Amino acid sequence: MTLAWTFKYALAAGIALLPHTALAQSVNISYLTHWAPETVALLEQAAKDYAKDHPDVAVTVRAVPFGDLLTTLRSQGGGADGATIAGIYDLWLPELARDKLVAPAPEPVAGGVKEAWPAGVATAASVGGTVYGIPNEIDVYALNYNKALFAEAGIATPPKTWDELKDAATKLTKKDAGQQGFGMINSWAAGVVHPFSSLLVSNGGELVVDGKPALDSKQAGETFQLYEDLIKAGVTDPAMATADANTTGPFLDNFVSGKTGMLIMANWWESALKAGMGDKFSDIATAPIPVGPSGDKPRSISYSWMTVVNAGAGEAEQKAAWDFLAWLNSPESGPNGASAMANILMSMGILPSRTSDVEAFKDKLGSEFLAGYVSVLADAKPFPVVLGGQEFSESLQQTIEALQYGQVTAKDAQASAQADAVSILARAAK
Amino acid sequence: MSNSYRGSVLTMLTPAVGLIGVFIFVPMLLTVWLSLQDWSTQTGFQTARFIGLDNFSEIFGPTSIGRDFKRAFVNTALYTVLSIALILPLSVAFGLLVHQRNVAGGTILRTVLFSTYMVPMIAVALVWSKLYSPTEGPINQMLGWVGLGPQPWLSSPSTALVSIVLLNVWQQVGYFTVLIIAGLTQIPNSLYEAATLDGARPRQQFTAITLPLLRRTLLFSAVIAIINAVQVFEPVALITQGGPVGSTNVLTFHIRRVGIERAQGGLGSAMAVTLMLSLIVVIFALFAFARRNDNE
Repeated sequence: MTLAWTFKYALAAGIALLPHTALAQSVNISYLTHWAPETVALLEQAAKDYAKDHPDVAVTVRAVPFGDLLTTLRSQGGGADGATIAGIYDLWLPELARDKLVAPAPEPVAGGVKEAWPAGVATAASVGGTVYGIPNEIDVYALNYNKALFAEAGIATPPKTWDELKDAATKLTKKDAGQQGFGMINSWAAGVVHPFSSLLVSNGGELVVDGKPALDSKQAGETFQLYEDLIKAGVTDPAMATADANTTGPFLDNFVSGKTGMLIMANWWESALKAGMGDKFSDIATAPIPVGPSGDKPRSISYSWMTVVNAGAGEAEQKAAWDFLAWLNSPESGPNGASAMANILMSMGILPSRTSDVEAFKDKLGSEFLAGYVSVLADAKPFPVVLGGQEFSESLQQTIEALQYGQVTAKDAQASAQADAVSILARAAK
Repeated sequence: MSNSYRGSVLTMLTPAVGLIGVFIFVPMLLTVWLSLQDWSTQTGFQTARFIGLDNFSEIFGPTSIGRDFKRAFVNTALYTVLSIALILPLSVAFGLLVHQRNVAGGTILRTVLFSTYMVPMIAVALVWSKLYSPTEGPINQMLGWVGLGPQPWLSSPSTALVSIVLLNVWQQVGYFTVLIIAGLTQIPNSLYEAATLDGARPRQQFTAITLPLLRRTLLFSAVIAIINAVQVFEPVALITQGGPVGSTNVLTFHIRRVGIERAQGGLGSAMAVTLMLSLIVVIFALFAFARRNDNE
């Protein structure tokens, strides 16, 4: 074959393939997340797997820090050029749905969510009975403690009550060595409010009852008082509690380096602990939240994440996005009956919420670290998802931080938190 | 003035005035209008509802909205005052040092000083957040070598804002040093020679010649430094997220939180208008003060 003929064949083949190639990438959808690069790589791999059977859909992934996720959604999410898919925190859903930034799920997807996920999780992905997202992760809080430090301090078992918590924190504190018994978190709304709320529900209290703030309860007063007691006793140091925009920072560094005896955190930080501690991760164990004087059993706070679709995206993009998400969260997309999404979540130590995923990862969820979280899931109370929830959460954060730094008393903190919450939720409900 | 002359003036001015009007005055007027409305940033302007000065009474009121705004306002004012109080004297000092041509390494010092201004804020924020780390940060380790105890830096509400100011000073001082050097080069050497012949000492030359003749440069530097300081956003967004206890929550960051994250466009606009008016008052006061000194 002469060179000229080779060139002609190549040209003809190119022209013949051109329309198919153009058709093959006819829908572009983008996925906005706050995940770390290694997790984004797993999502990109899943998108490639999806593209094998759906060559007409191209999925690109964009990641921003957690602190910028809501702002990015708010500023770009509603437009046709915004991300087609976004991973969101359930607390944000009521306002995003009210502002028509997210599209209701089409009937087959909505039906699938109600069928394949636990009722509580499916409800958190709905507003007024309409499903807006496909749930993926569920996070729950528990007490993480350093077994090596506990052994050194002569403490045999993790604290089960608040009195035991105070006692253990005192024994674990070594001020000269810069070691605190109990770690708190500040400068990050969820990091401040969720551990506080977990102690509150473990004391028989609630943040919100029937849409009204309940921070003026006896149980809430006792929880504020616990914080004040721990601060005054010097067993927790707020200067060791700071978090940054990526939800890491000194609070994590201090726990990882063995300078914090115990703290209350969610399961998702397993990967951060493993990365920071290496072999010493085996020193970390999980226990239920200690029970307060007014509580009957260990309880905790849970919250969920979901993927939603941009209501401003084109019809073809929305259709492709729902199809991709349905596949990503289905048992067909991952190994051994698990979904590809669950596979990604488990790489970070995050509990998947789909019933079939929990079954598929039964062995892995039985690890020493995660089993402690799985065991408290049944008695966990979902963090209240209400209009104005984010502002309520940030306001409570300010009050708790002021208490952490000794700027207010427990009594004043309780009064201020309740008054602010009443005003915020009433304004948001208008 | 003839009609044809007036017409050509209008023709020549229209493009520039039109652009300024569209890109500066329209957004400003729109913000002022929105500050009088109840409006969600996620909805069109047609959904805005006129509520008069309610947004302003809310941001100065006793609720959490007012408390957070006033705190952010005070934080911004403190940040600005501290930044100016450190940047201007330091830039004059460095400018005088670098301006001395006989000093060895002057050019290198000038390059080093200006280089901090060229480093992207994301890199500065990452590095300084580690430098400030209370337990493992090099700054505390160095303080330990000279017998000083560890400082909480970004981890305490009493030191976090000052820590952000120091970061800002470190980054900006090189830029202002260059401005001061430009001002110093405008002062004729003959004045110093005459003063030397009259027996004036260096300190007297500085207070009687250098400072008075640097007045306009200092005024310009102060205005730019104030505008830069009021607009501080990146270090707060990247490092502290306004914490702890709202001690680094400055107005630009707070307006973003209210106006974008919470979609409270009316409230956010009222805050932005208040910030704009405060800035205008401060800049006018500064110019009035400078003019009065000129007249004296």
